[in-house]
Amino acid sequence: MEESKVAVVQDTIVEMRDAFGQALVELGHDYPQMILLDADLHTSSKATYFKQAFPERFIQVGIAEQNMFGIAAGLVLSGFIAFPSTFAVFASRRALDQIAISICFPNLNVKIPGSYVGLPTSRAGASHNCIEDIAVMRAMPNMRVADAGDNADLRAIMRAAMEVEGPVYFRITRYILPTLFGSDHKFEWGKGHLLKNGEDVTLFGTGLMTGKCIEAADLLEKDGISAEVIHMGSIKPIDRDLIATSVSKTGCAVTAENATVIGGFGAAVAKVLGEECPVPLRRIGVRDRWVDSGGIDELFTHHGMQPSDIAKSAKQVIATKTNTDVL
Amino acid sequence: MQFSADKLAELEEMAYHIRRLSIEMITYAKWGHIGGSVSMAEILSVLYFHSMTINPDDPHWEERDRLVLSKAHGSPALYAALHLRGYYPEEMLYTYCELGGFEGHTDMSRTPGLESSGGPLGMGLSVAVGMALAMRFKEIPRGRVYCILGDGETNEGNVWEAVMSASHYNLDNLIAVIDYNKVMAKGFLWDQMGIEPFGDKWRAFGWDVLEVDGHDIEALVEATHKARWVMLRGKPIVIIAHTVKGRGLEMAEFNYKWHTHAPDPPTADRMLRTLAHNYGRTESGYSHLEEEDQKENFYGGE
Repeated sequence: MEESKVAVVQDTIVEMRDAFGQALVELGHDYPQMILLDADLHTSSKATYFKQAFPERFIQVGIAEQNMFGIAAGLVLSGFIAFPSTFAVFASRRALDQIAISICFPNLNVKIPGSYVGLPTSRAGASHNCIEDIAVMRAMPNMRVADAGDNADLRAIMRAAMEVEGPVYFRITRYILPTLFGSDHKFEWGKGHLLKNGEDVTLFGTGLMTGKCIEAADLLEKDGISAEVIHMGSIKPIDRDLIATSVSKTGCAVTAENATVIGGFGAAVAKVLGEECPVPLRRIGVRDRWVDSGGIDELFTHHGMQPSDIAKSAKQVIATKTNTDVL
Repeated sequence: MQFSADKLAELEEMAYHIRRLSIEMITYAKWGHIGGSVSMAEILSVLYFHSMTINPDDPHWEERDRLVLSKAHGSPALYAALHLRGYYPEEMLYTYCELGGFEGHTDMSRTPGLESSGGPLGMGLSVAVGMALAMRFKEIPRGRVYCILGDGETNEGNVWEAVMSASHYNLDNLIAVIDYNKVMAKGFLWDQMGIEPFGDKWRAFGWDVLEVDGHDIEALVEATHKARWVMLRGKPIVIIAHTVKGRGLEMAEFNYKWHTHAPDPPTADRMLRTLAHNYGRTESGYSHLEEEDQKENFYGGE
């Protein structure tokens, strides 16, 4: 496996939501049939950049997400590509039936950004901290699901979303994330990215947790443990080959996601492991509880989702592997 | 408006066939929503054979009118109308509810001429709003989007989000038609959840409102003509069509127990003969009466 260039550099220029807004404008230039819909959140989500650039292709629906996703379906049935933009919690909960039957069932070209995902969502509290969207969205036939590792990944995901027929759900973190990829970064559906070669354990990350996996690998290295790090921006479809190839070398795995571990990314990896190459696994993510208000770092600590938690899980899972060998 | 006796007879005839074929399909499938299918027979007849500008030879013609069936459980009546309008041959109707055939609730990937997919109630008007906005973006001023809603589904909050937005966007190219048949799945509308004063609700949300007898072809023609060509003043238009659930079928009229209830073949045979008789036609019964099949029995209603 070829190793991608790894560079964990703090990008002080834009938050991921700004990168989202900028990418919308880029796509708006390339796709004249693209229409953006908003449910009264555009200056938070930064969809407002698109509104400023293409006011005639921006539709404000008010605080009515169910209506917004239905309108998106109607626009797409008339030849447009719709981006109904709202917070991830409202897309994945309030409007789920509309997304399922008006959009996924007829396989419509609706590209759904889920803004403000996971833990770092200001201090809004459990109602606004979206943790179940990966599980919910990946359960729906025809839907593709992605969680970007950094801004370059997000831009590539959004372009890839336009290039496929059918619905796509992609997650956007509100804040600044460490840079993982260069500007020449490519995203392909069903393809992961090997960020660091290792021998003892594979750390599978998605979304912002990939950055934390890299930090965890550095911690492990200090203890003489060689961790392989793989970024899975494409959660559905998932890169079965890369998962199988990596764990057949390392013999165990840790997954990390900025979401509930129930039915989400870790579950998707577990499915592949179970079906193709069963090895010991630990999953990092929110564990069947609501994510209350709090500071960013405080929340990651509280939910056991810091690099040190990933490293700890890696050591535990490696120990399981050793025990299995002994037995 | 000019309207010939021949055209009236044609629209009555189409309403008869929509009823007849709905019974045929539901009986053959042993499943379906018969009451809410036949209650909109005249509505579909007037829309597909009088009001709508469509071309079955070019179903994707960009400037065509669209129809969204929000009460998607009424699919048999719509499938019948699309067949009668020339989108596909009659035998396809008998794939209704078969694996790979026409879906129980609407699936646009299966049925030519179908403009949307649905099932969960209260969602179709939003899709129609999107289509009406798209028509405006594409500058198709003559185009219209029709949306048929059930009365019961206006219990759903999503409907009122869509109603609010249509007037906000001044969509006078959008015409909603309510099949106001007064009967829901498990009881009468006023017992389950009342919706009156219904017209006032739409007016308060900024719509123009027309109320008609939904089984009176001439009244429907008049209303759809007004909605399409006369009332254009920047407001969406709703035609509240008062209908009778199960209209034209013995036992099923105004009876919620026939909301989801397929007649067994002998009952269907009687229904079809009575229907033909009432339309003054030569009596003909259920076309598959003699056929034996091994399909599971979903006759049971409620």
